[in-house]
Amino acid sequence: MAELSTTSGRYIKGVTLGEGTYGVVFKALDTLTNRTVAVKKIRLGKYKEGVHVTALREIKLLKELHDPNIIELIDVYPHKRNLNLVFEFMESDLEAVIKDRNIVLSSADIKSYMQMTLKGLAQCHKKWVLHRDLKPNNLLIATDGQLKLADFGLARILGSPDRNFTHQVFARWYRAPELLFGSKQYGAGVDIWAAGCIFAELMLRRPFLQGSSDIDQLGKIFAAFGTPRESQWPDMTSLPDYVEYQYCPAPPLRSLFPMASEDALDILLRMLTFDPKSRITAQQALEHRYFLIEPAPTRPVLLPRPPTRPEGKSKPAEVASPAAPIVLSPPNKARRVTLFPGGAGGDVHSSGRVDTGYPFPSRDASGGTVPGETPSDHGEIPMSVDMRTTAGQAIPPRPTLNSTDRSYLKRKLDMDLAVSHYQEEQQI
Amino acid sequence: MAANFWTSSHCKKLLEQEDIAHVSPIDQNRGLTTEDAKIIKVHLSNYIRKLAQHAKVRQRVVATAIAYFRRIYTRKSFSEYDPRLVAPTCLYLASKAEESTVQAKLLHYYMKNFGTAPDEKVFRYEIKDVLEMEMRLLEALDYYLVIYHPYRPLVQLLQDAGLTELIQTTWALVNDSYGTDLILMYPPYVIALACIYIGCILKEKDARTWFEELRVDMNVIKNIAMEILDFYDNYRQIPEERVHAAFIKLPPRS
Ligand SMILES: Nc1ncnc2c1ncn2[C@@H]1O[C@H](COP(=O)(O)OP(=O)(O)OP(=O)(O)O)[C@@H](O)[C@H]1O
Ligand SMILES: [Mg+2]
Repeated sequence: MAELSTTSGRYIKGVTLGEGTYGVVFKALDTLTNRTVAVKKIRLGKYKEGVHVTALREIKLLKELHDPNIIELIDVYPHKRNLNLVFEFMESDLEAVIKDRNIVLSSADIKSYMQMTLKGLAQCHKKWVLHRDLKPNNLLIATDGQLKLADFGLARILGSPDRNFTHQVFARWYRAPELLFGSKQYGAGVDIWAAGCIFAELMLRRPFLQGSSDIDQLGKIFAAFGTPRESQWPDMTSLPDYVEYQYCPAPPLRSLFPMASEDALDILLRMLTFDPKSRITAQQALEHRYFLIEPAPTRPVLLPRPPTRPEGKSKPAEVASPAAPIVLSPPNKARRVTLFPGGAGGDVHSSGRVDTGYPFPSRDASGGTVPGETPSDHGEIPMSVDMRTTAGQAIPPRPTLNSTDRSYLKRKLDMDLAVSHYQEEQQI
Repeated sequence: MAANFWTSSHCKKLLEQEDIAHVSPIDQNRGLTTEDAKIIKVHLSNYIRKLAQHAKVRQRVVATAIAYFRRIYTRKSFSEYDPRLVAPTCLYLASKAEESTVQAKLLHYYMKNFGTAPDEKVFRYEIKDVLEMEMRLLEALDYYLVIYHPYRPLVQLLQDAGLTELIQTTWALVNDSYGTDLILMYPPYVIALACIYIGCILKEKDARTWFEELRVDMNVIKNIAMEILDFYDNYRQIPEERVHAAFIKLPPRS
């Protein structure tokens, strides 16, 4: 496939579809498969930092993710000094659906869009990938009506070396409260919050929480759900950018979504739960009663969608609302507290850490090393074994080793006495 | 991540010994032997480690860079992909893929100051060469960039076995396992187990029951252990003349 793609001429370039932060997207015909595709042409810097990290991230993650509800990266090929990413062509996106006044969305339609969004997310989270930029215009819609998560340029694998993630992710309206309070060790819950906002937006047909600043965004959230009490979200006050908000009671959710069913309100509330530890996971959401009972989700092919992909789209203006509660204390940025210390190293939904490739359940997670933290981070671990200090000792009899093994190993290790000073230079 | 590794591209791309040991015809024509190839790979894996120390990147980046480097030569020839340029480029690419970017300028500074002996003077590559090679490497890797390493399973397994005091020894053994192609051949947790196995022998710990309960194929573990010990035996310290003899067979820079 790689060989084929380098031979220029596989793709016949068509019209320009749009322009993103780091490249232009154009329509093309894949002559190999006769498929219409979308080619994203990544602009490279002027021989300064090579392939852009966002492009690299998108490539790296999409090569690992294969799911009907995640955009397919068909091919990548270098062209001149650019890197071209070939995606399946997507007819529309959810933002266009929401904004199209000719489209009526039934509750079965909304359920279908939500189910597809959550299925895509569940797959990401299963593979420890956080999308981090979920919003209606990154949920693309294929010709067959399937909704697919796209735009993985901000996505990250949990447990990447830089464990302190940036909180400058997501378009503000879709940003979870822990991000707005500056959390750097967040988990999959951030994507769920955004999905909850999208759910609300599908019902309201306008963005649900349209903050004009981070402070205002939190104000909008609290105006809708009430200012959280410590018991509701114990970790809140220790977040880096925590500020106290004037107490504001929650209006009945029903008053904001008069048409929604009880189950719809329940799942919405579980997705938009303040404490990320109690927020529902994508998998749990898919198993929620909302998806089990009538009406059944509309089959994707039957979903209403705009006739063609509009050429240029503009965002609705951010609206400031006077109804939000006001901030009581000034931002306290000096306080830096780590969320979720130590425990629960194997839970994608609770922290910014990653599990291991180890397939067995661990009996004891309370050892000396914090899961996800490598001993080398403390600089105390030698980079290489010093065989000299150990090789002279006798090898203990071990039934798992037969005598031939033992003498072989012993010979090996004894010989290593001769090995010299290599490892010193490897100390960090 | 259990489900994670098993469904990853890394897992699907695990190779057999035969896939790795072969020398490409174009390299063979230059007289390069399997042994030469092994020596070049060990030498440049060490070089990647050295550069990385100066650039102060995390061990994970080093491990990924070496894995890229070794994977590339299961597909490409040393003659067409000069390993003296491929090695630093792998570090550059790995630093980005692992989210701790090393600036090309900085990397180039370290490249200039710490050559890839024995003929460092001859091979002075520029930033531009690194960035061009980056594109070629991405293509050679077929754009698969996610690599899993034994470090995390090691920590978990040691905790599980109640052998956390072996962390220093076994961690270092895992580091040294990158002197081999093992990362291309076995799931990371199996490599971690082999390192624990060696660690137990070295430090006289009896983890027999624990290994038995895991129900892993002890023959596989032993084979990996032998391979690591073979590295200590024969490749930990390669005489400079031997390195030189291998490198001299590479074509001069065009
Ligand atoms: N697979 C696709 N099929 C059809 N059109 C697409 C596809 N991917 C992207 N586009 C179009 O190209 C435009 C640019 O996409 P891109 O993902 O580069 O940036 P963006 O999402 O608009 O902005 P940003 O880079 O800030 O996320 C999109 O707005 C969309 O209209
Ligand atoms: Mg987008």
